[in-house]
Amino acid sequence: MNVQYQICTNCVMDTTDSRIIFDKDGVCDHCNDYYTNVQPNWHTDERGKAEMVKLVEKIKKDGEGRDFDCLLGMSGGVDSSYLLHLAVKELGLRPLVFHVDGGWNSELAVHNIQVMIDKLGLDLYTEVINWEEMKDFQLAFFKSGVPHIDIPQDHAFIATLYNFADKYKIKYILNGGNISTECVRNPMEWLYYGTDMAQLKDIMKKFSTVEMKTYPFSSILRHKFYLRYLKGVQVVKPLNYMPYIKEDALEFLSKEYGWTPYPQKHFESRFTKFFEGYWLPERFGFDTRRVQFSSLILTGQMKREDALKKLELPAYNPETIDEEFDYISTKLGITTDELRSYLTMPKKFYWDYKNYESVFNLGAKVLKFIGVERSIKR
Amino acid sequence: MITIIDYGSGNINSIGNIYKNLKIPFKIAGTPNEVTGAEKLFLPGVGAFDETISKLDETGFRTVLDEEVLVNKVPILGICVGMQILAESSEEGILPGLGYIKGKVRKLDEALLTDKPKLPHLGWNSISLSGSNALFENIDPKVGFYFLHTYYFDCSNIDDVVSNTFYGQTFASAVSRENVYGVQFHPEKSHRNGIQLLHNFAKI
Amino acid sequence: MLRSRIIPCLLVHKKGLVKTTEFKDPKYVGDPINAVKIFNEKEADELMVLDIDASVEGRGPDFELIRNLAIECRMPFCYGGGITSVVEAKKIIGLGAEKIAISSAAINNPLLIKEIAKAVGTQSVVVVLDVKKKGLLGDYEIYIHNGKERTGIKFKEILKTLNEIGVGELVINSIDDDGKMTGYNFKLFDIARNAVDFPMTILGGVGSLDDIQTAINRYKTIGTAAGSLFVFKGKYKAVLINYPNREERNKLYQLQR
Repeated sequence: MNVQYQICTNCVMDTTDSRIIFDKDGVCDHCNDYYTNVQPNWHTDERGKAEMVKLVEKIKKDGEGRDFDCLLGMSGGVDSSYLLHLAVKELGLRPLVFHVDGGWNSELAVHNIQVMIDKLGLDLYTEVINWEEMKDFQLAFFKSGVPHIDIPQDHAFIATLYNFADKYKIKYILNGGNISTECVRNPMEWLYYGTDMAQLKDIMKKFSTVEMKTYPFSSILRHKFYLRYLKGVQVVKPLNYMPYIKEDALEFLSKEYGWTPYPQKHFESRFTKFFEGYWLPERFGFDTRRVQFSSLILTGQMKREDALKKLELPAYNPETIDEEFDYISTKLGITTDELRSYLTMPKKFYWDYKNYESVFNLGAKVLKFIGVERSIKR
Repeated sequence: MITIIDYGSGNINSIGNIYKNLKIPFKIAGTPNEVTGAEKLFLPGVGAFDETISKLDETGFRTVLDEEVLVNKVPILGICVGMQILAESSEEGILPGLGYIKGKVRKLDEALLTDKPKLPHLGWNSISLSGSNALFENIDPKVGFYFLHTYYFDCSNIDDVVSNTFYGQTFASAVSRENVYGVQFHPEKSHRNGIQLLHNFAKI
Repeated sequence: MLRSRIIPCLLVHKKGLVKTTEFKDPKYVGDPINAVKIFNEKEADELMVLDIDASVEGRGPDFELIRNLAIECRMPFCYGGGITSVVEAKKIIGLGAEKIAISSAAINNPLLIKEIAKAVGTQSVVVVLDVKKKGLLGDYEIYIHNGKERTGIKFKEILKTLNEIGVGELVINSIDDDGKMTGYNFKLFDIARNAVDFPMTILGGVGSLDDIQTAINRYKTIGTAAGSLFVFKGKYKAVLINYPNREERNKLYQLQR
């Protein structure tokens, strides 16, 4: 059944999100969800400031007499970089700063992490994921045919995050996630939950060839329930308590730290660049720029016409894509033909493999009901 | 099409990889007849002068090169020893060079060098351009290029010197006359500057 | 003006990059291919990659890895580890490396150096000497097979031999200082500098760019290699590839001459 193409009249989400719903004005449910559930509760003025002050006090109190009062994972991206600056320079916090090396760091990412760490005089921790294991895990996902082949990278980050929180008994995790540039979320059909162990295990069972001896795993039960509700570990998003304008943040970081901007969001990882820029759009027609631009449109940082213009061009650079394709296949230890075969194989989705989606949905509904999460990821 | 001459001397693949990434079509000529009709020629070279020029003779490339370069005026770029064999002769050996650019190859003067190790000239060194040349557009002369050699090209005509480099003495790091170009350094091993130079040669 | 070369030295162990301390306790540092790509993007002067298992395991070089690394390098690339024949050396040069490094094989049979030099050119032959202080008199001795086997050969002796044979480049690797990040052992390196005329690279113990500065001031023209410095950051030894940028490099060269 071929769905009639339709694009939101307000943002740029369209029917490549197969579950999108439009109202009578052609406005999509992403927008309506934002206007109804998110925007009214999002305070970046005095109310936000007051909330942030309260939060910072709690964090500082918890960290008294200890080396660190909070935890911050740095990817080298603009959000976590700006958050680091904010946390240290303006909020006076003492974060344990760490970076997870999944094997795909771009030189820009490494440079940006370094300039911030150096200027702020901080000590960095890193967790280097065993590449042979990561490689096999990533290949397993390629072979499964699903869109969310970034899970091996994502999951390692989440698990490491909670491992650090557990090990150093840190209650507060600073997260650079923000409504300002991320109020529209990637549809689950495109990017499924990274912590659904049923899904991970099923795909590994079917396609892995290497034993995962050191790869960090974490179940949602562990971090959303055990650590959160029993140990009191919570994730806080300071960038939501203040006006966060992406362009300003980029300019500031550049001037203050010598930070260099990336061509597109998430391009600090060579893999994510390939995944979001080429793989998802070419194989599935999923262009994550739609999500990013829509968020910026809703928060007044981008004009819809500009977004539409940008979307006319491919998300990848045609000049360098062949080189990138070569690099990805070399690094994964396969031929370009094999990589191409994964690109063109029949499409599969998360529902084609075991999954705990119903559990996740129930959990999300509960969290929304008790007011912890605002919008539903769907 | 850019044609890289494979006569058994020099690193062909590195040059090829750069052109591959620049999306500039090239081919590797393993036999002399693959050279005919080339738009541009690359002459790599590593090792001793006589040995290199002998290889060129033995593989039969010399005759076809003379035709393409001297008669058809096809642009040619010699790298390292590939540049040196463009000369008429060398102190290092007894065989005559290609003679496309007048001059003699001489050994760098050790007496002028103060610190160990004196020779070879090994490492990154800057260049100083004598006038503008299409080959060196958008290149940072201070950063320069990677050198690894013991002999240098002593040009008969000072006009043939495109750039100079200092190592105990000032010597020609790049030469050119009409369609013939030569660089003493290794552009394929000189990062940004090298890639730019190879790109420039393709556009000449 | 000719600039001293600043060379990251990476160790490969079980297909992954590691950093050792006194040649022991390898700490996993990540994927070689991505690391090399980053060094290339940082425009490192040169790069050296050594397979520390090959000679111990009695096997030859990993050609697949060499090919994949060489393709990422737009600067001279030197590969060492398990090379025992001319055929292997030629193949590695053919795959795109500029230089091959031999250690155990050269110590066991110094004539191999000449044979390989004949095939690929002297400038492409690098001899790596793993040196450790040993014995009652605290003499410097040569070790092979990744520091596992003591040869009893004195450092000064082998330098004489190499001087006679002729080598493209000599790398002196101080086992005692490996991974310590407490500075170069100049006493050791001075011995070599005074004994041989060919290009030399020193390795072992670099803790900061200051150490490199001191080496350049002392030797004027020298290859300064480091492992830990370019791979670790800070007191928790976080793994973060780094290399001095243009500005930092220019500062290091300025005090030269």
